[in-house]
Amino acid sequence: MTDVGGCFPRLFSLTDTVEGVFMSERKGAEKPRIGVFVCHCGTNIAGVINTEELVKYASKLPGVVVAKDYRFMCSDPGQNMIKEAIRDLNLNRVVVAACSPRLHEETFRRAVEEAGLNPFLFEMANIREHSSWVHMRQPKEALEKAKDLLRMAVAKVRNLEPLEVRKVPVKRSCVIIGGGIAGISAALDLADAGFEVHLVESTPSIGGRMAQLDKTFPTMDCSACILTPKMVMVARHPNIKLHAYSEVVNVDGYIGNFKVKILEKARYVKGDACTGCGLCADVCPVHVPNEFEMGLGARKAIYVPFPQAVPNTFTIDRDKCIECELCTKVCEAKAIDFNMQDREVEVEAGTIIVATGYDIFQPYEMYQYGYGKYENVITSLHLERLLSASGPTGGKVIVPSTGEKPKRIAFVQCVGSRDEHFFPYCSRVCCMYSLKHARQIKEKYPDAEVYIFFIDVRAFGKGYEEFYEIAAREYGVKIMRGKVAEIYEDPKTKKLLVRAEDSLIGEPIEMEFDMVVLAPAVKPSAGAEKIQQILKLSKSADGFFLEAHPKLRPVDTFSDGVFLAGMAQGPKDIPDAVAQAKGAAAGAAALMGKGEVAIEPYYAVVNEEICSGCKTCSGICPYGAISYNEDGRAVINSVLCKGCGACAAACPSNAIEPNHFKFRQVLEQIIAAFTE
Amino acid sequence: MSASQLIKKFDIDFTQEVIDYASKFFEDVENVRSCIQCATCTGSCPSGRETAWRVRKLIRQVQLGLKNAAIRNDVLWDCTTCYTCQERCPRLIPITDIVRAVRNIAVRNGFMLPRHVQVAGLMIKHGHAVPINDEVKAVRKEIGLSELPPTVHSYPDALGEVKKLLDETGFTKLVEEASKGVQK
Ligand SMILES: Cc1cc2nc3c(=O)[nH]c(=O)nc-3n(C[C@H](O)[C@H](O)[C@H](O)COP(=O)(O)OP(=O)(O)OC[C@H]3O[C@@H](n4cnc5c(N)ncnc54)[C@H](O)[C@@H]3O)c2cc1C
Ligand code: SF4
Ligand code: SF4
Ligand code: SF4
Ligand code: SF4
Repeated sequence: MTDVGGCFPRLFSLTDTVEGVFMSERKGAEKPRIGVFVCHCGTNIAGVINTEELVKYASKLPGVVVAKDYRFMCSDPGQNMIKEAIRDLNLNRVVVAACSPRLHEETFRRAVEEAGLNPFLFEMANIREHSSWVHMRQPKEALEKAKDLLRMAVAKVRNLEPLEVRKVPVKRSCVIIGGGIAGISAALDLADAGFEVHLVESTPSIGGRMAQLDKTFPTMDCSACILTPKMVMVARHPNIKLHAYSEVVNVDGYIGNFKVKILEKARYVKGDACTGCGLCADVCPVHVPNEFEMGLGARKAIYVPFPQAVPNTFTIDRDKCIECELCTKVCEAKAIDFNMQDREVEVEAGTIIVATGYDIFQPYEMYQYGYGKYENVITSLHLERLLSASGPTGGKVIVPSTGEKPKRIAFVQCVGSRDEHFFPYCSRVCCMYSLKHARQIKEKYPDAEVYIFFIDVRAFGKGYEEFYEIAAREYGVKIMRGKVAEIYEDPKTKKLLVRAEDSLIGEPIEMEFDMVVLAPAVKPSAGAEKIQQILKLSKSADGFFLEAHPKLRPVDTFSDGVFLAGMAQGPKDIPDAVAQAKGAAAGAAALMGKGEVAIEPYYAVVNEEICSGCKTCSGICPYGAISYNEDGRAVINSVLCKGCGACAAACPSNAIEPNHFKFRQVLEQIIAAFTE
Repeated sequence: MSASQLIKKFDIDFTQEVIDYASKFFEDVENVRSCIQCATCTGSCPSGRETAWRVRKLIRQVQLGLKNAAIRNDVLWDCTTCYTCQERCPRLIPITDIVRAVRNIAVRNGFMLPRHVQVAGLMIKHGHAVPINDEVKAVRKEIGLSELPPTVHSYPDALGEVKKLLDETGFTKLVEEASKGVQK
């Protein structure tokens, strides 16, 4: 036995014998009888790599009892070939040389298990993605590399140990963060399916941005008419507990068993007593710019954000309130309570859905458009409120500086979107909503001139191209191809000079408009930031939450049991947000319906006898899976642990090893890589 | 030129030629390949409002490989190099830098405006792009300055040195060649 003591593995040399160096030495294991199965993957592998040669090579590797190849190993006959070999030749280890384990590890594990072997005594060598595909034009070298990969897999499989898949129970309850249309849809689907739902919304009412919209493309449904019934259903549903004006402040636990702390902010109005009569707001002397109206109107210090709010409970904005208590005097229901305190509640949940939505970019930095400086330059959300019959002008679109109806309006697309200075991505909703706005204005003022300046029109959804066509043909909206370069205001008349180029004619344009509507980029909501930290979610380069796989797991995250819905995951319109919410609900329901979930046994294990209690590991674990027992020894929560191995690498005593990636298993594989 | 300018072929090496040449002096030139023809540049261009210069078209010509159209074009010299377009380009294309590089390529291919040949000739002859004249001399005297400024005008010996520099750097030859092109 080589004594390398505490210095291992830093002083490890590949020429050392590995026997005895490892704490994970396999004791009393039976002699390995390995079967190797090489897949052609049609011509994907066999078109490049000489599989016959590879099989010959494999059969000579130590411990290999049988080596075979087949056209499609993943097919039924392929799997049967493996099963028969296990039974007939009494194999106790299996290697398949084929594609990526991400695709078929599950398939082959099941086959191995069906033949009576522990499914973890199996290893895959990826000779497709890692060899035949990337070395398509070098068949000789590709074969050599395939041999290397196979030899390494055989070395690893020889040292693998049987592991047991564990099952953890999944609570039949879901916490949904964000009460926009995505959160609402997911909540109703899950509640209807019989699951308990906690819907957490940070503002005083659910509804999200959709509540601010007047009509919706492509059908021109009135937004409130299709949204409000759903909001009311949320309030009434026996399976939904609505936590409005609340925030998630902490999440502990893991898939199936989350413990979610929710801070219910004090409204200073008792929800069960307030009748929503609004007498208080009538007498309140404090006027505050109304956020819901994008600052175009005022609200009082005691308010509901909009008439159809759910819950229909008033809220006192204590930052603005002067504590005159006029409201207390008029409130017949005695609902006002200035002593109300914030309240923290903890709920248990099997799954979590994140639907924190979006904000729009306030383009002050794009000085060339004069937003914030020129009165008549507004954003699309301002226009939604001007168009809305319940908005500050009762649905009249007016030029802000004059209060008159506009004769000429310009829409400016891609404000901050598709721009490397700001947001490189396309915001996906603005082309369509600007066409919608243009049509709405033409409906109200048929003789108004409406111009939309596009880079190009993106009308990709069902019925969208038709919507675009109608805007041009029936409504006479002028589609200009060329992004607006700059806007100047005539300080006297407040009219706006818009400069651009119509790139199709190839001539510069300089035109005067009464008002200009900007279509700013959408970006992740401010509330998403906190949730990201609490749930340790990843973001993609665009700043939105990252899905586990863009095609095959579009609503899942890398945190098991946590799903994404709506704009939180990336720009999308209402049809897509709802479709995704339904997907997230289905994902959550699948977990909760089954009632238990299998956890891969790749967690790390602490050898208590070696652990010195130095506490290096807990700070390193990205999943917060490590704590310490009474003796100060590290303990790893096997459900939280993802088996990333960071702790194992950091532990100065080598007291930690991740299952399936034990020192011995990995090092034997490395040694095989360097020995022919 | 005929009424239709049917394009049958692109000079596919031109894009790389511009990128390679411009990259000697400027950064991120390869971004030119990603132009989306959004037209922010022409819309921003103060020259384009007065002249026939369309900077977006030049970028398109570089992107596609329309070398002749790009370099045999008098309006190429109408850019004032104000850099407004470059500051606003959403694809971070160093537009004005590219205009300058294409101008250099144009000159190297013998395309130079007669008035530029003229100015360059003055430089070679007098060591000044704008040599002094009687009017300026009179004004200098009137405001109490020496008649001639302390440049090659006052030091004729130095003119030889300037000429040497212009020869050594290849400027003289470049202008000579280009002036032949201008005459063609
Ligand atoms: C001007 C404009 C016009 C549009 N017109 C149309 C149209 O006609 N048709 C169409 O299909 N789409 C349209 N859209 C797009 C549409 O608004 C979105 O697709 C939709 O609102 C997305 O819904 P969501 O639930 O994902 O996000 P949101 O509506 O943003 O909802 C997110 C909710 O989460 C809450 N929240 C955020 N953070 C937290 C937190 N940490 N804790 C608790 N709650 C939190 C927010 O308060 C909000 O209520 C338009 C967009 C704009 C800007
Ligand atoms: S106490 Fe506050 S909320 Fe009530 S009326 Fe006075 S200012 Fe308004
Ligand atoms: S949807 Fe249209 S306006 Fe919006 S960013 Fe994309 S291209 Fe620009
Ligand atoms: S501004 Fe940039 S991306 Fe737009 S057309 Fe000009 S060069 Fe191309
Ligand atoms: S740098 Fe030249 S092309 Fe660009 S805006 Fe100025 S004048 Fe126009």
